[in-house]
Amino acid sequence: MRALRNIKAVAMNTYREAVREKLLYTLLMFAGLMIASSIVLVKIHLGYDERIYYDVGLAAIALFGSLIAIFVGINLVYREINSKTIYTMLAKPMRRWEFLIGKYLGLVGLLALEIVLMSALFLAVVWFQKGTFPAELLYAIVLIFVELVLLTAIAIFFSSFTTPYLAGMFTVSLWIIGHLLADIREFGNLPDSEAIRPLTEALYWGLPNLDRLDIKGLAADGIPITLKDLWMNIAYGLSYASLLLFSATQLFRVRDFR
Amino acid sequence: MAIIRTEGLSKVFRTGFTMKKVEAVKGVDLKVDAGEIYGFIGPNGAGKTSTIKMLTGLILPTAGEAWIQDIPVSDPKCRAHLGFLPEGTFFHEYLTGREFLDFHGQLLGIDKATRQKRAGELLERVGIPHAGDMRIRSYSKGMRQRVGLAQALIADPEVVILDEPMSGLDPLGRKDVRDLILSLRDEGKTVFFSSHILGDAEVICDQVAIIVNGNIVHQGYIDDLLGQEVSGVELVLEGIDAPLFEELKVGATRAITQGPRFLLEFEDEASAQRVLERTLEAKGHVRSLVPRRRSLEDLFVEEAKKGNYA
Repeated sequence: MRALRNIKAVAMNTYREAVREKLLYTLLMFAGLMIASSIVLVKIHLGYDERIYYDVGLAAIALFGSLIAIFVGINLVYREINSKTIYTMLAKPMRRWEFLIGKYLGLVGLLALEIVLMSALFLAVVWFQKGTFPAELLYAIVLIFVELVLLTAIAIFFSSFTTPYLAGMFTVSLWIIGHLLADIREFGNLPDSEAIRPLTEALYWGLPNLDRLDIKGLAADGIPITLKDLWMNIAYGLSYASLLLFSATQLFRVRDFR
Repeated sequence: MAIIRTEGLSKVFRTGFTMKKVEAVKGVDLKVDAGEIYGFIGPNGAGKTSTIKMLTGLILPTAGEAWIQDIPVSDPKCRAHLGFLPEGTFFHEYLTGREFLDFHGQLLGIDKATRQKRAGELLERVGIPHAGDMRIRSYSKGMRQRVGLAQALIADPEVVILDEPMSGLDPLGRKDVRDLILSLRDEGKTVFFSSHILGDAEVICDQVAIIVNGNIVHQGYIDDLLGQEVSGVELVLEGIDAPLFEELKVGATRAITQGPRFLLEFEDEASAQRVLERTLEAKGHVRSLVPRRRSLEDLFVEEAKKGNYA
């Protein structure tokens, strides 16, 4: 009960901090412009109207959401430590993991709001142009959100023991590599790549596979996605995020705030 | 009953690329009784803040133990009745004063109605009732210190730990903080505060501990530490002529002429008595006679001479 109360208070405060930042509105505005630009792109492009709406809209939601998750995420804990605002909070009857999870959930709440706003605009654009939208688009949006949840956990994990600069580099690297893991594995499976195959297999199984959460292409092509696959991928993303958060709380538990 | 207690509390930091060991706190034993104002004094870098951070759970002791209200400091429950103001005024700038107090009240499990009531009362008490709805970003340093103090008192705590609460404040602000600390004692609360300003500690503390280079070098009641002996007497005289002043200043540790006034300082009371009698015989006036007791500053200087304060 006490833990939930503390997590809620920290999460609400984090959310309040983020919504008072100008950066968020700037990113949202750019995302909105990008989604709206698909209407113009369709006019100057021949054929594949739907594909352009879907590609541009889903890419905008994923890109701007990822930018918020990474760049707000890496500063989330560091800023509290660097500005020493953490002192008065941790001197309360609150465990450190409650603080960390509160910060995390505050940002996840913000990302949920951001996803809802951008998706509403995206689906409205599709609806007004086509009169309907396939369920796969919703599935793709759900998995984008799961990816953002995982990205935020990666950012929090690195920022629990290093500087925002390094945390940013590590998180962006994992973000890129996480989308290339299938290709990396395939490269390791080439006949000439036997020597590096153990490494590519280790990377494939060890690093967060963000490709599993990326069904934007399938959704845009109208390829059906089963609910079982959807749930499996959601479970994968949330499990990985939980593991990272657990590791972050263990590192944070023994940290000195000098 | 000891409200705050430490036994052999030590902290070793590792710094730099070579992870060089720095012993910030070396086996500190403290015992702070209920209802007292306890001053934790020492120069900058003596280990005051490190000790306080161990008491408040911000850094982990390398060795030793500490308890607040008999609960180990490793247990967050010990902070349920603790108010803490850290050194400096580092608060969430995007919050208004009222939101800031409300947030900290939530972390202490205070219900909404009580939080709102307490926030209003405390803003009034620390002298910034007008600033409750202003963002902390726009506060002056003094206002930040005051809202920080209000934060420390939001749960009406039994124990209050203040790290350098008077640092950087103007004379009026320092007086207000001193008065607040005294009023907390009147309410039966225990106040533990650190300071490198010896005068402040001497005026308001019941007990003090002096920490130098991570070691406690003196600890106890002010009167026990300083004693009741007079260490010197200062006289200010008027209406005497220059030849008499020359005669009187023999044996003085200090002799200054300030226009029509003459200031003399003696280490012993007998010399002061002699000057007093001679001045009255010569129809001069004694404007003031102040016996000087040993001060915390004197005690501190003695430690410096012993080499305890490098």
